[in-house]
Amino acid sequence: MGKDKENNFKTPEGYFDSFHDRLMDKIKQQEGEMEDSIIPKSDGFTTPEGYFEHLPEKVLSKLDFKEPKVIQLKSYKKFYYSAAAIAAVFLLIFGLNWKTTTPVTFEDLASAEIDAYFENTELDLSSYELAEVVVIDELSIDDVLENQLEEDNILEYLDENVEDIEDLNLDYDDYE
Amino acid sequence: MIAEETLVNELKQKESQARAFEVLVNTYKERLYWHIRRIVLNHDDADDVLQNTFIKVYRNIEGFKGDSKLYSWMYRIATNESLTFLKQKSKKLGISDEELKTTMIENLQSDVYFEGSEIQLKLQQAMATLPDKQKLVFTMKYFQEMKYDEISEVLETSVGALKASYHLAVKKIETYLKAD
Repeated sequence: MGKDKENNFKTPEGYFDSFHDRLMDKIKQQEGEMEDSIIPKSDGFTTPEGYFEHLPEKVLSKLDFKEPKVIQLKSYKKFYYSAAAIAAVFLLIFGLNWKTTTPVTFEDLASAEIDAYFENTELDLSSYELAEVVVIDELSIDDVLENQLEEDNILEYLDENVEDIEDLNLDYDDYE
Repeated sequence: MIAEETLVNELKQKESQARAFEVLVNTYKERLYWHIRRIVLNHDDADDVLQNTFIKVYRNIEGFKGDSKLYSWMYRIATNESLTFLKQKSKKLGISDEELKTTMIENLQSDVYFEGSEIQLKLQQAMATLPDKQKLVFTMKYFQEMKYDEISEVLETSVGALKASYHLAVKKIETYLKAD
């Protein structure tokens, strides 16, 4: 019988000699149980034929490291003069009006476009990061609500949801 | 197969980038596809998410420091892209995450790229009842046959917790499949 030097705990004879074999048996048994499992081995998903073969091509075409093709310019030489003439006319027209054009400002962006941007873009900002950029003192409840809150609705809500009005810790001086 | 470190270096250099990226896509396309497909279920969605994953990998390779293995970094991107995709989808449709899961499984029945039988459909229903992370652990271990330490790197969870999570998932799925 094996005896621990420091403790008086004992193990059955040959416990450690056969430990590895017993462990392996246990693992096999558990694997066997998994094989007997009623969970199907395949989940039934398939892909269109040739999907994986054409994938690299599709992905690479979306990236910008492809070297641009060299286009022989010589054959277009005869168009240069007419193109230059047209460009000159346009330059003249726009050049004359240039000073009167106003730059595009933030206000020119339709609010729907701004809303759509925020809707579709993950900003990845935590509440704390947002709090740093949004000055809370300058916000009022109307900035976040589309419709005005009716006083009756507020009172009805409080009546239904707040058991003790003291819980709200209202500072009445602010409302007097 | 090209060594991971060499591949990363080639990906960071302009002159070797295109060829290295092709190697990267060819090496990981199937593994990442199946990982994504098992989250989003539909082939077209999986195709979109997979392409976005590779594009993100390409755009962010400069920032890859090599603290983790390249494949686990890519798996993490694929997982995040898939989960974000589902979130955006439910938001667009104006339904809850749970409702989206039900719709996704209903759509499987008419999906030409799903050849599952009734039991496989029921398996999807069973998996939809699991919390997101438990479902991920289950599919990565059971279908993708990944090792616990590989899953651990991707999901940044200890091997012990993963084993417990997997065991629980198997039990829950079995109970679901055995019911009625």
